Amino acid sequence: MTRPTPEQIAAFADGQLEGAEHADVAAAIAADDALTAQVAAHQALRARLSSHFAPVTSEAVPDRLVALLSAPQTDVVDLAQVRARRRGLPRWTWIAGPALAASLVLAVTLGRGGGTGADYAPDQIAAALDSQLVGEQPGDAPVRVLLSFRDAAGAYCRAYSASATSGIACRDGEGWKLQGAASPGAGRANGEYRQAGSEAEIMAQAQALAAGPALDAEAEKAARARGWRGPSD
Amino acid sequence: MKLADPFADGILALLPRLRRFAAGLSRGGAGEADDLCQTTIERALRNRDKWQAGTRLDSWMYRMMRNIWIDEVRARSRRGETFVDEEAGLGIGASGGQDESAALGDVDRALAQLPDEQREAVVLVMIEGWSYKEAAEIVGCPVGTLNSRLVRGRDALLARLGEAA
Repeated sequence: MTRPTPEQIAAFADGQLEGAEHADVAAAIAADDALTAQVAAHQALRARLSSHFAPVTSEAVPDRLVALLSAPQTDVVDLAQVRARRRGLPRWTWIAGPALAASLVLAVTLGRGGGTGADYAPDQIAAALDSQLVGEQPGDAPVRVLLSFRDAAGAYCRAYSASATSGIACRDGEGWKLQGAASPGAGRANGEYRQAGSEAEIMAQAQALAAGPALDAEAEKAARARGWRGPSD
Repeated sequence: MKLADPFADGILALLPRLRRFAAGLSRGGAGEADDLCQTTIERALRNRDKWQAGTRLDSWMYRMMRNIWIDEVRARSRRGETFVDEEAGLGIGASGGQDESAALGDVDRALAQLPDEQREAVVLVMIEGWSYKEAAEIVGCPVGTLNSRLVRGRDALLARLGEAA
Protein backbone atom coordinates (compact mmCIF):
# COMPACT_ATOMS: atom_id res chain seq x y z
CA MET A 1 0.00 0.00 0.00
CA THR A 2 1.26 3.48 -0.85
CA ARG A 3 1.72 5.81 2.05
CA PRO A 4 -1.13 8.34 2.38
CA THR A 5 -0.27 11.92 1.43
CA PRO A 6 -0.49 14.70 4.04
CA GLU A 7 -3.63 15.89 2.18
CA GLN A 8 -5.22 12.47 2.56
CA ILE A 9 -4.37 12.32 6.25
CA ALA A 10 -5.92 15.71 6.89
CA ALA A 11 -8.98 14.82 4.79
CA PHE A 12 -9.33 11.59 6.73
CA ALA A 13 -9.16 13.47 10.03
CA ASP A 14 -11.86 15.82 8.75
CA GLY A 15 -14.12 12.99 7.62
CA GLN A 16 -13.83 14.09 4.00
CA LEU A 17 -12.80 10.82 2.36
CA GLU A 18 -15.21 8.38 0.82
CA GLY A 19 -15.33 4.87 -0.57
CA ALA A 20 -12.17 3.04 -1.56
CA GLU A 21 -9.92 6.00 -0.76
CA HIS A 22 -11.31 6.18 2.76
CA ALA A 23 -10.81 2.45 3.27
CA ASP A 24 -7.24 2.54 1.99
CA VAL A 25 -6.23 5.52 4.06
CA ALA A 26 -7.96 4.20 7.18
CA ALA A 27 -6.08 0.91 6.85
CA ALA A 28 -2.74 2.67 6.37
CA ILE A 29 -3.31 4.89 9.38
CA ALA A 30 -4.42 2.03 11.59
CA ALA A 31 -1.21 0.18 10.74
CA ASP A 32 1.10 3.09 11.58
CA ASP A 33 1.33 4.69 15.02
CA ALA A 34 2.96 7.85 13.65
CA LEU A 35 0.07 8.39 11.25
CA THR A 36 -2.46 7.68 13.99
CA ALA A 37 -0.79 10.37 16.10
CA GLN A 38 -0.98 12.83 13.19
CA VAL A 39 -4.70 12.25 12.83
CA ALA A 40 -5.15 12.79 16.56
CA ALA A 41 -3.16 16.03 16.37
CA HIS A 42 -5.34 17.27 13.49
CA GLN A 43 -8.48 16.50 15.42
CA ALA A 44 -7.17 18.13 18.59
CA LEU A 45 -6.26 21.25 16.61
CA ARG A 46 -9.72 21.40 15.11
CA ALA A 47 -11.29 21.05 18.55
CA ARG A 48 -9.07 23.80 19.92
CA LEU A 49 -9.89 26.19 17.09
CA SER A 50 -13.60 25.58 17.19
CA SER A 51 -13.79 25.92 20.97
CA HIS A 52 -11.73 29.13 20.77
CA PHE A 53 -14.31 30.73 18.47
CA ALA A 54 -17.43 29.07 19.88
CA PRO A 55 -18.14 31.85 22.40
CA VAL A 56 -18.67 34.33 19.55
CA THR A 57 -21.85 32.55 18.53
CA SER A 58 -23.39 32.88 21.98
CA GLU A 59 -22.56 36.57 22.37
CA ALA A 60 -25.36 39.07 21.95
CA VAL A 61 -25.27 40.37 18.39
CA PRO A 62 -24.46 44.11 18.43
CA ASP A 63 -27.49 46.35 17.94
CA ARG A 64 -25.93 48.10 14.99
CA LEU A 65 -25.98 44.84 13.01
CA VAL A 66 -29.50 43.88 14.01
CA ALA A 67 -30.68 47.39 13.15
CA LEU A 68 -29.48 46.98 9.56
CA LEU A 69 -31.89 44.09 9.13
CA SER A 70 -34.81 44.86 11.35
CA ALA A 71 -35.45 48.56 10.77
CA PRO A 72 -33.81 49.72 7.56
CA GLN A 73 -36.40 52.45 7.12
CA THR A 74 -35.33 54.29 10.26
CA ASP A 75 -31.60 53.87 9.79
CA VAL A 76 -31.19 54.59 6.15
CA VAL A 77 -29.55 57.95 6.40
CA ASP A 78 -26.97 56.76 8.88
CA LEU A 79 -26.41 53.71 6.78
CA ALA A 80 -25.79 55.64 3.63
CA GLN A 81 -23.30 57.83 5.44
CA VAL A 82 -21.52 54.92 6.98
CA ARG A 83 -21.34 53.20 3.66
CA ALA A 84 -20.04 56.26 1.87
CA ARG A 85 -17.37 56.73 4.50
CA ARG A 86 -16.35 53.10 4.57
CA ARG A 87 -16.25 52.47 0.89
CA GLY A 88 -14.79 55.79 -0.06
CA LEU A 89 -17.66 56.52 -2.41
CA PRO A 90 -17.88 59.95 -3.95
CA ARG A 91 -19.48 62.24 -1.39
CA TRP A 92 -22.40 63.18 -3.60
CA THR A 93 -23.63 59.61 -3.45
CA TRP A 94 -25.10 60.07 -0.03
CA ILE A 95 -25.58 63.80 0.01
CA ALA A 96 -27.67 63.66 -3.12
CA GLY A 97 -28.81 60.12 -2.40
CA PRO A 98 -32.60 60.14 -2.51
CA ALA A 99 -33.00 62.71 -5.28
CA LEU A 100 -30.28 61.11 -7.31
CA ALA A 101 -31.78 57.66 -6.92
CA ALA A 102 -35.09 58.93 -8.25
CA SER A 103 -33.56 60.70 -11.21
CA LEU A 104 -31.49 57.71 -12.21
CA VAL A 105 -34.49 55.44 -11.92
CA LEU A 106 -36.35 57.74 -14.27
CA ALA A 107 -33.48 57.86 -16.70
CA VAL A 108 -33.38 54.07 -16.82
CA THR A 109 -37.12 53.83 -17.16
CA LEU A 110 -37.18 56.37 -19.98
CA GLY A 111 -34.46 54.53 -21.80
CA ARG A 112 -36.48 51.34 -21.85
CA GLY A 113 -39.60 53.02 -23.14
CA GLY A 114 -42.53 53.32 -20.77
CA GLY A 115 -46.17 52.56 -21.36
CA THR A 116 -48.43 55.33 -20.12
CA GLY A 117 -45.77 58.01 -20.26
CA ALA A 118 -42.41 58.98 -19.03
CA ASP A 119 -43.68 59.82 -15.56
CA TYR A 120 -45.40 56.47 -15.05
CA ALA A 121 -44.14 53.02 -14.20
CA PRO A 122 -43.66 50.82 -17.28
CA ASP A 123 -45.98 47.87 -17.81
CA GLN A 124 -44.01 45.16 -16.06
CA ILE A 125 -43.54 47.23 -12.93
CA ALA A 126 -47.07 48.54 -12.99
CA ALA A 127 -48.42 45.00 -13.20
CA ALA A 128 -46.41 43.99 -10.15
CA LEU A 129 -47.54 47.08 -8.26
CA ASP A 130 -51.16 46.29 -9.11
CA SER A 131 -51.06 42.66 -8.06
CA GLN A 132 -48.24 41.73 -5.65
CA LEU A 133 -48.58 41.83 -1.89
CA VAL A 134 -45.41 42.42 0.10
CA GLY A 135 -45.89 39.39 2.31
CA GLU A 136 -46.96 36.93 -0.37
CA GLN A 137 -44.78 37.60 -3.40
CA PRO A 138 -42.28 34.94 -4.49
CA GLY A 139 -38.71 35.59 -3.37
CA ASP A 140 -37.52 35.49 -6.97
CA ALA A 141 -40.20 37.79 -8.37
CA PRO A 142 -38.65 39.94 -11.14
CA VAL A 143 -40.15 43.01 -9.51
CA ARG A 144 -40.30 42.97 -5.74
CA VAL A 145 -42.57 45.31 -3.85
CA LEU A 146 -40.72 46.51 -0.74
CA LEU A 147 -43.55 48.23 1.09
CA SER A 148 -46.78 50.11 0.65
CA PHE A 149 -47.89 53.34 2.30
CA ARG A 150 -50.09 56.37 1.78
CA ASP A 151 -48.77 59.81 1.04
CA ALA A 152 -50.01 63.07 2.55
CA ALA A 153 -52.76 63.30 -0.09
CA GLY A 154 -54.02 59.83 0.77
CA ALA A 155 -52.77 58.19 -2.44
CA TYR A 156 -51.37 54.69 -2.21
CA CYS A 157 -47.66 54.49 -2.91
CA ARG A 158 -45.45 51.46 -3.26
CA ALA A 159 -41.69 51.11 -3.20
CA TYR A 160 -40.29 48.45 -5.50
CA SER A 161 -37.04 46.93 -6.59
CA ALA A 162 -36.24 45.19 -9.87
CA SER A 163 -32.96 44.09 -11.39
CA ALA A 164 -32.40 47.26 -13.42
CA THR A 165 -34.40 49.82 -11.52
CA SER A 166 -36.02 50.58 -8.22
CA GLY A 167 -38.10 53.41 -6.92
CA ILE A 168 -41.43 54.53 -5.61
CA ALA A 169 -44.65 54.99 -7.51
CA CYS A 170 -47.97 56.41 -6.32
CA ARG A 171 -51.32 55.50 -7.84
CA ASP A 172 -53.32 58.28 -9.47
CA GLY A 173 -56.11 58.35 -12.02
CA GLU A 174 -53.79 57.36 -14.86
CA GLY A 175 -51.55 54.75 -13.35
CA TRP A 176 -48.51 54.37 -11.12
CA LYS A 177 -46.80 57.75 -11.17
CA LEU A 178 -43.09 57.62 -10.46
CA GLN A 179 -41.92 59.84 -7.65
CA GLY A 180 -38.93 62.14 -8.00
CA ALA A 181 -37.71 64.72 -10.47
CA ALA A 182 -36.61 63.67 -13.93
CA SER A 183 -33.18 64.73 -15.03
CA PRO A 184 -30.99 63.97 -18.00
CA GLY A 185 -28.64 61.43 -16.57
CA ALA A 186 -28.45 58.59 -19.04
CA GLY A 187 -25.22 56.96 -20.09
CA ARG A 188 -23.82 55.94 -16.73
CA ALA A 189 -22.58 52.51 -15.95
CA ASN A 190 -25.00 49.97 -14.57
CA GLY A 191 -23.26 49.75 -11.26
CA GLU A 192 -23.93 53.40 -10.57
CA TYR A 193 -27.64 53.05 -11.09
CA ARG A 194 -27.62 50.14 -8.75
CA GLN A 195 -25.64 52.06 -6.20
CA ALA A 196 -27.87 55.11 -6.34
CA GLY A 197 -31.06 53.10 -6.36
CA SER A 198 -30.14 50.88 -3.46
CA GLU A 199 -32.96 49.83 -1.23
CA ALA A 200 -31.80 51.80 1.76
CA GLU A 201 -32.16 55.00 -0.22
CA ILE A 202 -35.53 53.99 -1.59
CA MET A 203 -36.60 53.38 1.98
CA ALA A 204 -35.40 56.87 2.93
CA GLN A 205 -37.56 58.31 0.15
CA ALA A 206 -40.52 56.26 1.32
CA GLN A 207 -40.07 57.57 4.79
CA ALA A 208 -40.06 61.14 3.52
CA LEU A 209 -43.21 60.63 1.44
CA ALA A 210 -45.25 58.53 3.83
CA ALA A 211 -47.93 60.18 5.90
CA GLY A 212 -48.25 57.22 8.27
CA PRO A 213 -46.94 53.74 8.92
CA ALA A 214 -46.47 51.16 6.18
CA LEU A 215 -49.57 49.17 5.32
CA ASP A 216 -49.83 45.82 7.02
CA ALA A 217 -50.92 42.71 5.13
CA GLU A 218 -54.63 43.30 5.76
CA ALA A 219 -54.53 46.93 4.69
CA GLU A 220 -52.58 45.99 1.56
CA LYS A 221 -55.15 43.40 0.62
CA ALA A 222 -57.98 45.86 1.12
CA ALA A 223 -56.17 48.49 -0.95
CA ARG A 224 -55.57 46.00 -3.76
CA ALA A 225 -59.27 45.06 -3.72
CA ARG A 226 -60.09 48.73 -4.30
CA GLY A 227 -57.61 49.00 -7.16
CA TRP A 228 -55.21 51.07 -5.06
CA ARG A 229 -57.50 54.07 -5.37
CA GLY A 230 -57.61 56.48 -2.47
CA PRO A 231 -60.86 57.82 -1.03
CA SER A 232 -60.49 61.03 -3.03
CA ASP A 233 -60.48 59.29 -6.42
CA MET B 1 -43.44 49.77 10.74
CA LYS B 2 -41.84 46.41 11.06
CA LEU B 3 -42.11 44.46 7.82
CA ALA B 4 -42.07 40.73 7.39
CA ASP B 5 -39.02 40.04 5.27
CA PRO B 6 -37.81 36.45 4.92
CA PHE B 7 -34.52 37.55 3.38
CA ALA B 8 -33.63 39.90 6.24
CA ASP B 9 -34.88 37.38 8.78
CA GLY B 10 -32.69 34.71 7.19
CA ILE B 11 -29.61 36.90 7.52
CA LEU B 12 -30.58 37.78 11.07
CA ALA B 13 -30.63 34.08 11.93
CA LEU B 14 -27.18 33.67 10.36
CA LEU B 15 -25.61 36.55 12.28
CA PRO B 16 -23.99 34.50 15.06
CA ARG B 17 -22.24 32.34 12.45
CA LEU B 18 -21.33 35.31 10.30
CA ARG B 19 -19.81 37.07 13.30
CA ARG B 20 -17.74 34.00 14.10
CA PHE B 21 -16.55 33.78 10.49
CA ALA B 22 -15.65 37.47 10.56
CA ALA B 23 -13.79 36.97 13.84
CA GLY B 24 -11.84 34.12 12.26
CA LEU B 25 -10.88 36.17 9.20
CA SER B 26 -10.16 39.56 10.76
CA ARG B 27 -6.84 40.39 12.30
CA GLY B 28 -8.06 43.53 14.01
CA GLY B 29 -10.20 42.27 16.87
CA ALA B 30 -13.95 42.29 17.48
CA GLY B 31 -14.56 45.83 16.22
CA GLU B 32 -13.04 45.08 12.85
CA ALA B 33 -14.92 41.78 12.66
CA ASP B 34 -18.24 43.51 13.21
CA ASP B 35 -17.31 46.15 10.64
CA LEU B 36 -16.83 43.28 8.19
CA CYS B 37 -20.25 41.92 9.17
CA GLN B 38 -21.82 45.30 8.63
CA THR B 39 -20.29 45.77 5.20
CA THR B 40 -21.41 42.26 4.26
CA ILE B 41 -24.99 42.84 5.39
CA GLU B 42 -25.16 46.12 3.51
CA ARG B 43 -23.89 44.51 0.33
CA ALA B 44 -26.31 41.61 0.75
CA LEU B 45 -29.25 43.99 1.11
CA ARG B 46 -28.19 45.86 -2.01
CA ASN B 47 -27.80 42.64 -3.96
CA ARG B 48 -30.76 40.74 -2.62
CA ASP B 49 -32.27 40.42 -6.09
CA LYS B 50 -29.22 38.35 -7.08
CA TRP B 51 -29.94 35.75 -4.45
CA GLN B 52 -32.13 32.98 -5.80
CA ALA B 53 -34.84 31.82 -3.47
CA GLY B 54 -34.45 28.12 -2.76
CA THR B 55 -30.65 28.25 -2.85
CA ARG B 56 -28.60 28.37 0.31
CA LEU B 57 -28.45 31.77 1.90
CA ASP B 58 -25.62 30.80 4.25
CA SER B 59 -23.04 29.92 1.59
CA TRP B 60 -24.13 33.00 -0.41
CA MET B 61 -23.44 35.19 2.63
CA TYR B 62 -20.15 33.46 3.44
CA ARG B 63 -18.95 33.94 -0.13
CA MET B 64 -19.87 37.61 0.01
CA MET B 65 -18.08 38.15 3.32
CA ARG B 66 -15.00 36.30 2.12
CA ASN B 67 -14.82 38.42 -1.04
CA ILE B 68 -15.20 41.67 0.88
CA TRP B 69 -12.49 40.57 3.31
CA ILE B 70 -10.09 39.69 0.49
CA ASP B 71 -10.79 43.01 -1.25
CA GLU B 72 -10.12 44.94 1.95
CA VAL B 73 -6.94 43.03 2.74
CA ARG B 74 -5.62 43.70 -0.75
CA ALA B 75 -6.66 47.35 -0.73
CA ARG B 76 -4.93 47.89 2.58
CA SER B 77 -1.75 46.24 1.50
CA ARG B 78 -1.75 48.39 -1.65
CA ARG B 79 -2.12 51.47 0.52
CA GLY B 80 0.56 50.17 2.83
CA GLU B 81 -1.68 50.51 5.85
CA THR B 82 -1.26 46.97 7.01
CA PHE B 83 1.53 44.54 6.66
CA VAL B 84 2.10 41.10 8.00
CA ASP B 85 5.34 40.98 9.87
CA GLU B 86 6.73 37.63 8.83
CA GLU B 87 9.04 37.47 11.84
CA ALA B 88 6.64 38.47 14.56
CA GLY B 89 3.80 37.25 12.40
CA LEU B 90 1.35 39.84 13.56
CA GLY B 91 -1.04 41.86 11.48
CA ILE B 92 -0.43 45.43 12.47
CA GLY B 93 -3.44 47.62 11.85
CA ALA B 94 -3.34 51.27 10.94
CA SER B 95 -4.73 52.38 14.28
CA GLY B 96 -4.26 50.77 17.62
CA GLY B 97 -3.15 47.55 15.99
CA GLN B 98 -0.25 47.00 18.28
CA ASP B 99 -2.34 47.24 21.40
CA GLU B 100 -4.89 44.89 19.99
CA SER B 101 -2.40 42.33 18.84
CA ALA B 102 -0.71 42.39 22.22
CA ALA B 103 -4.00 41.25 23.69
CA LEU B 104 -4.42 38.39 21.25
CA GLY B 105 -4.35 34.87 22.57
CA ASP B 106 -2.14 32.09 21.25
CA VAL B 107 -4.72 30.85 18.78
CA ASP B 108 -5.39 34.34 17.38
CA ARG B 109 -1.68 34.96 17.13
CA ALA B 110 -1.02 31.70 15.33
CA LEU B 111 -3.90 32.28 12.93
CA ALA B 112 -2.74 35.84 12.24
CA GLN B 113 0.57 34.47 11.00
CA LEU B 114 -1.02 32.39 8.28
CA PRO B 115 -1.08 33.68 4.71
CA ASP B 116 -4.61 34.74 3.77
CA GLU B 117 -5.29 31.76 1.52
CA GLN B 118 -4.36 29.30 4.27
CA ARG B 119 -6.18 31.28 6.90
CA GLU B 120 -9.47 31.28 5.01
CA ALA B 121 -9.21 27.55 4.32
CA VAL B 122 -8.53 26.78 7.99
CA VAL B 123 -11.34 29.03 9.19
CA LEU B 124 -13.92 27.70 6.74
CA VAL B 125 -13.25 24.04 7.42
CA MET B 126 -11.98 23.82 10.98
CA ILE B 127 -14.01 26.57 12.62
CA GLU B 128 -17.02 27.01 10.38
CA GLY B 129 -17.40 23.31 9.63
CA TRP B 130 -17.83 23.48 5.83
CA SER B 131 -16.90 20.43 3.81
CA TYR B 132 -13.87 20.74 1.53
CA LYS B 133 -16.16 20.97 -1.47
CA GLU B 134 -18.32 23.70 0.06
CA ALA B 135 -15.30 25.64 1.30
CA ALA B 136 -13.74 25.45 -2.17
CA GLU B 137 -16.93 26.86 -3.67
CA ILE B 138 -16.97 29.74 -1.20
CA VAL B 139 -13.34 30.55 -1.96
CA GLY B 140 -13.72 29.87 -5.67
CA CYS B 141 -10.85 27.40 -6.06
CA PRO B 142 -10.55 23.68 -6.88
CA VAL B 143 -11.09 21.23 -4.02
CA GLY B 144 -7.53 19.93 -4.31
CA THR B 145 -6.16 23.44 -3.93
CA LEU B 146 -8.30 24.02 -0.87
CA ASN B 147 -7.10 20.72 0.58
CA SER B 148 -3.43 21.54 0.14
CA ARG B 149 -3.79 25.08 1.54
CA LEU B 150 -5.53 23.56 4.51
CA VAL B 151 -2.69 21.11 5.09
CA ARG B 152 -0.08 23.84 4.95
CA GLY B 153 -2.12 26.01 7.28
CA ARG B 154 -2.62 23.20 9.74
CA ASP B 155 1.01 22.23 9.75
CA ALA B 156 1.96 25.82 10.51
CA LEU B 157 -0.60 26.00 13.31
CA LEU B 158 0.54 22.72 14.81
CA ALA B 159 4.13 23.90 14.74
CA ARG B 160 3.22 27.14 16.52
CA LEU B 161 0.68 25.83 18.97
CA GLY B 162 2.54 22.61 19.70
CA GLU B 163 1.67 19.06 18.80
CA ALA B 164 -0.51 18.84 21.88
CA ALA B 165 -2.79 21.47 20.37
